[in-house]
Amino acid sequence: MIKILFISKNNSQISKFKNIFGKNLYDFSCISDDTLLIDTINVSAPDIIFLDAEIPNLKDINKKIKQICENTIIIFLVNEKVDKELVKFANAFVTLDMPEDLIISTVNVNLRMKNALEMLSSSNKDLADSLYRLNALYDTSSRFAGTLDKDKLIQYMIEGMDKALSFSLTSTLSLCSDEPVLILNSLYELSDELISALKFRCVLNFNSAFEGKTLDIDTLKVIKQVKYPASRFTFTLFQYDNMFAKISLGDTDFGFVEIFKETSFTPEDATCFQTIAQQVALPLKSATLYQELIETNAKLEKLERLKSEFISIVSHELRTPLTSIKNSLDILGSGRCGEVTQSAEKFLSMAMRNVQRLSGIINDLLDLSKIEAGKMDFNFTSANINTVIGYVKTALSEVAKSKGLNLITQEAENLPETKFDAQRLEQVLTNLVSNAIKFTSEGKTITISSELVNASDIKINEIFKPEIKNLSGDYIQVCVADEGIGIDTKDLLRAFDKFAQIENSLSRKAGGTGLGLPIAKQLLEAHKGAIWCDSELNKGSKFYFIIPLV
Amino acid sequence: MKKILIVDDEQDIVESLKFVLETADFTCYCAYNGEDGLRLAKEIVPDLIILDVMMPKINGYKISRLLKYDAKYKNIPILMVTARSQEEDKLIGEETGADEYITKPFELDEVVKTVEKYLK
Repeated sequence: MIKILFISKNNSQISKFKNIFGKNLYDFSCISDDTLLIDTINVSAPDIIFLDAEIPNLKDINKKIKQICENTIIIFLVNEKVDKELVKFANAFVTLDMPEDLIISTVNVNLRMKNALEMLSSSNKDLADSLYRLNALYDTSSRFAGTLDKDKLIQYMIEGMDKALSFSLTSTLSLCSDEPVLILNSLYELSDELISALKFRCVLNFNSAFEGKTLDIDTLKVIKQVKYPASRFTFTLFQYDNMFAKISLGDTDFGFVEIFKETSFTPEDATCFQTIAQQVALPLKSATLYQELIETNAKLEKLERLKSEFISIVSHELRTPLTSIKNSLDILGSGRCGEVTQSAEKFLSMAMRNVQRLSGIINDLLDLSKIEAGKMDFNFTSANINTVIGYVKTALSEVAKSKGLNLITQEAENLPETKFDAQRLEQVLTNLVSNAIKFTSEGKTITISSELVNASDIKINEIFKPEIKNLSGDYIQVCVADEGIGIDTKDLLRAFDKFAQIENSLSRKAGGTGLGLPIAKQLLEAHKGAIWCDSELNKGSKFYFIIPLV
Repeated sequence: MKKILIVDDEQDIVESLKFVLETADFTCYCAYNGEDGLRLAKEIVPDLIILDVMMPKINGYKISRLLKYDAKYKNIPILMVTARSQEEDKLIGEETGADEYITKPFELDEVVKTVEKYLK
């Protein structure tokens, strides 16, 4: 029914319009006393108001009507002459002598217009709502992307829901901390009884959502966040409209969220709610993985540190008794305690040799644990690598000679100086040459050579390519080439692994700890250089190392 | 005869050092902990001290510093014996005032040579 209100003091007009609109389609009422006007409009909210232009204070009345019901159509009833001022704020005019048809059609046209306007404004409002919600969703998901803190993620989820859905209360169970936490975000204060009821409801929800798991209501921790503590919620809260969503990804459950609102939720609300609850699951999973990674890392670091400390302590504890053994052997061997027979000499030197070996192992272990712990000090000074080659040749040529080996050097002339720790590189080169001596048989030759190379020109076995892939510029290269037993290709990489001894028995026969090459590798890494080898079984091996030219 | 003080909580090491040094015609005094070592050093004012780093109560590093800061003893050469543990490395990284470092296990003949170098 279309509600029409007629405001006039003129009885003949009233009866004329009553005649026109008093029929079935319209709900016609009229008042002649404008003091009753506001109350009448408030009660009946008419679609159309006819206002007799003869009424005094027309403008004020018009203004009042517009204040109360903005969308009501006001049609002025005028004489033939229309006041120009009135034109500004009237929807339409009818004259006193206008035929009935025209009056009805004026009303209809205006009604249609009113309907169209109302539709437009309502779809406009829907559009604005959707936009706002989309914005809230976008905001929320960008906030999700910005953190790996699980508590924050849950908080962002609740805030996002508040923004998009303006809830009265959310009851969120978070399984993200060490123990389950019930987070109550409420518009108004909650009594203890109500909190108990919400806890109970949470346990029920938990049992139905996560079958087979249990939640202890007595130990359940509750966090309460109240927006307006001055007011209070009552149990009518449970009559509100509500929605529920699990927060989980695959097998991992992070909890659930239940949301209450005084007015009912629309299907769009439901979609939005589920979307946010789903969206938070992925970053929660990432955060969980991240946390696990951090924990594992910390454990590994601790283990590594303990290992280094262990090696250091053990080495120290080994050194002291070893010193006493060595000292005793020295004294016995020196003949200060009486003459040493030939067979005694043999066993004394056997004991000495093994003390030396043990002490070498301890030194290697200490070096390695020091380098790995980053506690090795380096003394980089400018020098020519050929000096180091010279030292090593002098130190080892006797040993080589005693084995019937030929130790020669091929040093590049005019090799530029560069910065390195001479003592450490001497250690590396000594190790390489000692190895060569160990694994080469009588009559063969061992060659130490040096040259200047560019990183891009280095020819290197495919398996060692990764070792030098980040290097560029000029390097000093040192090569120790032997004609010994060689290393099988499949063992090449392992040669630089800790404790890897290729062909165990042989290596044991030849002595050594299997730590020389790993130490060499670490020492060269500290020089920003590299070490690798090339070998052919039964033909011989070539060990190369390079240090940058600086 | 020159007097040498040997301070080490490891009795076996003290024993062997004493043996070779006495054979090389030095008079040896021994202490088996830091406290005794410091007391003896002040009492007998030796010509040289062989000092272990890691010892209970007062470690060799402390003893060395106490003596080297004292005008009465600062000229006594100190040979510091170290087992190169991380803890010791840290101590040695600081100023200990020691004249020479000997790493365990050491060559007895080397020790004798070093002692002779200082006491010629």
